[in-house]
Amino acid sequence: MENKPIKILIIDDEADFRRTMEFWFKSKGYIVNTTGDIELALQMIKENLASIIFLDLVMPQVDGVELLKKIREISPDVPVIIISAYVGDKEKIKKLDALGIDGVFYKGADFQEGLNLLEVALRKHRKIEK
Amino acid sequence: MFELALIYTITIILSIIVAFLLVRLASLSSQARAWSEKTRKEKKVYPATFTDGSLRRQIYDEIVEFVDAKARDEASQRLFNIFNKELEKKITQKEEELNKKYERIISQKSQTEEIAWKKYKNVLVQKNQVEAIIRSVAEGVVVVDKDGKVIMMNPAAERLLGISHKEKIGKSLLENLKKEQLISLVKGSEDKEDREIDLISPQDETKKTIRASTAVIENENGQTIGMVSVLSDITKQKELEQMKADFLAKVTHELRTPLVAMDKSLSLLLDKSTGDVSEDQQELLSIAQRNLKRLNYLINDLLDLSRMEAGRIELKRSNIAVSNIIDEIIQSLDAWAKTKEIKITARIEENLPELNCDSQRIGQVLINLVGNAIKFTPQKGSIIIEAKLSRDKKEIEISVEDNGVGIAKEELTKIFDKFYQAAERAPTDITGFGIGLAIAKEIVELHGGRIWAESEKGQGAKFTFTLPL
Repeated sequence: MENKPIKILIIDDEADFRRTMEFWFKSKGYIVNTTGDIELALQMIKENLASIIFLDLVMPQVDGVELLKKIREISPDVPVIIISAYVGDKEKIKKLDALGIDGVFYKGADFQEGLNLLEVALRKHRKIEK
Repeated sequence: MFELALIYTITIILSIIVAFLLVRLASLSSQARAWSEKTRKEKKVYPATFTDGSLRRQIYDEIVEFVDAKARDEASQRLFNIFNKELEKKITQKEEELNKKYERIISQKSQTEEIAWKKYKNVLVQKNQVEAIIRSVAEGVVVVDKDGKVIMMNPAAERLLGISHKEKIGKSLLENLKKEQLISLVKGSEDKEDREIDLISPQDETKKTIRASTAVIENENGQTIGMVSVLSDITKQKELEQMKADFLAKVTHELRTPLVAMDKSLSLLLDKSTGDVSEDQQELLSIAQRNLKRLNYLINDLLDLSRMEAGRIELKRSNIAVSNIIDEIIQSLDAWAKTKEIKITARIEENLPELNCDSQRIGQVLINLVGNAIKFTPQKGSIIIEAKLSRDKKEIEISVEDNGVGIAKEELTKIFDKFYQAAERAPTDITGFGIGLAIAKEIVELHGGRIWAESEKGQGAKFTFTLPL
């Protein structure tokens, strides 16, 4: 269990942002996949290419809440951290909480915070699995 | 002969009888006269208590002929008593009836009065309330009649205008005041928009800015009977706006210096003039440079916003081909579009005349429009930039069309407002048209053109602007 590699999936329509995140997490020793394509993302989750997901809340043509619902249909337990550029949307965060999320990573924040969130989420989920 | 003597005798006897009868008749008639005269004398003797025309006397007169003189007084008294009793009974009855009727009328009347009084009191309370509210609102309230004479003004208005209502009631507001300052209070505004009036305070010579929102008062027949103006002191707000504009301008200038340094450094690294870079390094440097460019656009917009607020955007016009501007924009945004696999196509009509415009500014408009299109178009979308001559050949029409999420119809006019965020755009919920469209509109209008958007939710969006030739 401990040796199983952690595969991060970053779903964000802004390529430069997800590519930079990818470089960052790779530099910390994680396996990282990224995409801005919703269908491709869902396919990757089906194929077990995600042990934790970073999900952009705001993307063209898809609502973050709807997308999380779809993800939950495929994988009810995978840890999901929301990426949000907008701090104010508390109502939406509530809805997402109900579907099960492991934190919100604000787009302006340091990537280190994203990494902290990720580590907390992974520890929590390992405990549950044990 | 005997017969004759007999007739003669009989005649004499008859004559004697007739004579005797006549004498007797005469005596009887004189007796009757005497009796009647006696009675008449008796009637006139009334008991002392009788007054002229009194009921007792009337009764007495009626019975006098039938009743013996001794019994008359007693009889009349009894009759009077009976009559009086009956009369009293009748009167009491009538009185009661009348009383009831009266009470009924009074109660009806007092009910009506009570209702009227209640209504009056209500109106009075409401009037006092309204007056108290008007008196205590922080905004100045001035009401003028159709001739511009002041009907009422509250203490706040007195304070703001530096005049007392006592000297103004019934007089024109303009008397003793600078006409141009207050004209809008009386005339009202044709476009019904708020007006800003600069006033020099008579007390301390300080400048005040007052916003006047004026509305016409109409009676039930729709005739103008006056005008109500609500005045608010926006001096502080104005100062803050100015401070904000100054601050913004300063900050944006400060921001640009490090940006240039960063951009140049990245360029030097990327063109390998300082040594070799790996593929990954090159990609990261490219990401940095692309995003720096975006940041630069945003800062330019911010800077323009502060210029716009201060009314300081000036155009540097020159003659240029539209295709040049469009090509340059595509070149500068293509790298960003490619990160989302979005294809930008230009369709430029052949032989378009040159435009006399500020090419940098028009480029900025296009950057904003194409930038939004990239932002709101999903992976693998497409953007078309089109330029053509208008039907009347007096303008060039430039449009940017995408196949992205689109904009709800009711938001199409609002998106050009400063800081408007299409926050209600669920389910896609993309926030932040920000200031780009407001700036685009300002620039286009400075050129004498128009800008508009056509879209339907989920159907992509098309932004078009015109520039006069």
